[in-house]
Amino acid sequence: MIRLLVLLAALLAGVVTASLAFGDISLSWHALFETIIGSPEASPQNSMIVFDLRLPRVLLALLVGAALATAGTITLAIMRNPLAEPGVLGINSGAAAAVMAMIVLVQEPPVLLLPAAGFFGAAAMAVAVYLLSWRGGTSSMRIILIGIGLSSLASAATTFLSAFGEIGDVQRAMIWLAGSVYDANIVKVRLLFFWLILPLVLAWMSARELDLIRFGDNSARSLGQPVDLVRALMIVLCTLISGAAVAAAGLIGFVGLVAPHIASRLVGPSHARIFPVAALIGASLVAAADLVGRVIIAPTQLPAGIVTGLIGAPFFAYLLWGRRHVRG
Amino acid sequence: MSDGSRFFALLLVCCLLVTVSMWAVTLGTVHIPLRSVWQAIVGFDGSREHLLVMTIRLPRVLAALLAGSALAVSGAIMQAVTNNPLASPGLLGINAGASFAVVSVMTLFGAGTGDVYMWFAFAGAGGAALLVYTLGSFGLAGQSTIGLVLAGAIVATFLTALTSSVLIFDQSTLDAVRLWTAGSVSGRTMAQAAAVAPYILVGLAAALLLGRHLVTLSLGADAARSLGQNPMVWRAISVAIIILLAGSAVSLAGPIGFVGLVVPHIARLTIGVDYRWVLPFSAIGGALLVVAADTAGRMIFASQSFPVGVTIALVGAPFFLWLARNRAGGAT
Repeated sequence: MIRLLVLLAALLAGVVTASLAFGDISLSWHALFETIIGSPEASPQNSMIVFDLRLPRVLLALLVGAALATAGTITLAIMRNPLAEPGVLGINSGAAAAVMAMIVLVQEPPVLLLPAAGFFGAAAMAVAVYLLSWRGGTSSMRIILIGIGLSSLASAATTFLSAFGEIGDVQRAMIWLAGSVYDANIVKVRLLFFWLILPLVLAWMSARELDLIRFGDNSARSLGQPVDLVRALMIVLCTLISGAAVAAAGLIGFVGLVAPHIASRLVGPSHARIFPVAALIGASLVAAADLVGRVIIAPTQLPAGIVTGLIGAPFFAYLLWGRRHVRG
Repeated sequence: MSDGSRFFALLLVCCLLVTVSMWAVTLGTVHIPLRSVWQAIVGFDGSREHLLVMTIRLPRVLAALLAGSALAVSGAIMQAVTNNPLASPGLLGINAGASFAVVSVMTLFGAGTGDVYMWFAFAGAGGAALLVYTLGSFGLAGQSTIGLVLAGAIVATFLTALTSSVLIFDQSTLDAVRLWTAGSVSGRTMAQAAAVAPYILVGLAAALLLGRHLVTLSLGADAARSLGQNPMVWRAISVAIIILLAGSAVSLAGPIGFVGLVVPHIARLTIGVDYRWVLPFSAIGGALLVVAADTAGRMIFASQSFPVGVTIALVGAPFFLWLARNRAGGAT
């Protein structure tokens, strides 16, 4: 476990260093080192590139990745379904519908309103899914089914807008929704960090509750867990975490689904172990995706959300294929 | 629910389907009485009214019927095979594969005619599904369904990412493909419907005949094996049927997601978990939903090209939400 964490942290550090060094203007290792320690020999241009442009961007990617992985771990545990990711709660479809409506219907929407619209769309959907599935208690099955129903309504609205909206608007919405950390700045990073810190800590502290609820409602209840309360709190945490991630970076899919799976394959079913490993994997995945998206067809940039699919999917497939003789 | 009342309910839905389909053919900017529709079918005389029936209205209704029943049945099979309520034909990569194939063809060779897309969509859907099946069955822990499910999620994500990376840079392809992506049965010709009809009919017949085996398969691999079934063989057969059905449906009507995911749930919530009944109910219910939604779209929005994918969700989702809220069980 310790060895794995060190390994993952080293991987993450490597990705971060590479993200700071590579780009339209690549810095040599020596120049990067001088810039970071603030030696008088470093050129002001380099320090602007590293501290004002690349650092916020890589920090935002790390935060978003860790947040998505944590939210994914929570959903996987409370839904007890291998396909469960925060999108099951309607978070993605709600954010997509809100942002698409904002871009297509409002003339020249203020840039700051888009993240807000994304967050409120996501939160409103999660609340609606939970309330509609409440009938003197909830069940994972009912939440999943209601989530499917409400998501398909929201997706119908998104599809309608994208089929009849002005084509330039639709494309802009698609790029926003594809998920990217283009417009990172230090203010945004700080905001997201302070927003996330409390829910993330709470989620990691509730690892034991997740271990219990994963056994099934009846088992958890007979072990003394107030199942409905725990599930409600977990859904609130999940909404706060992934809603903020969506608002900050759009719909970066796949990380929330894959990071917990890889983590539980590596360290077993205990959530106290899964959380840190999943968060490190998610952070590395998003940061690496952003780096690849920036340099692969430079100067054009591919959104990180697309690159996570392009490189994350084959990587995960390789993991499945490579470990095919291990009973999972 | 007893078998008798299930049979009665099935009969009722059948009658409803026939009524709605006939009504859908008569409705439109010009009302055409049923008698003329019948005459157009048996004794086509080339008049304007007969042309309208045979080249526009009837193909459209037929396409909706075929696509709806094929998607719903393949969704039911998919949920039986994976034993997962979130499964749909899309999880086998069908929609992502078809979209990717159509978008690639449009980008590389420019916009073509509907007939060309059909074959590429089918090839894309089939190719993606085979990839998912190979990866899922021979990959992780061969026997468990979780391998298939995760492989599906991986392949679908990868193909969707490829498709989006084309679309965010190529505005003209996005413009040409966005109505197809929404799912639509407008402007389908009789030849197109006839081209996929044999595949869909064979697939439906096979699915209905295999209902008994699907019940066994849905119990999970261990239970199925102890009942004397070889789950690997039946999973392969099921996947082949899904490719046939959903691949044809998507190439005819575009990637419609809702029907394959939700109609089997509606059937299960209404009449129980026995797949021998869920399959016929899904077939009829899916056809009914798509025809009704397409007709409603034509009437309410007075537009021939309103994408049926949108109206299906508008018509079907409220009903499904009501069912899920009232019928879906407690602890699972």
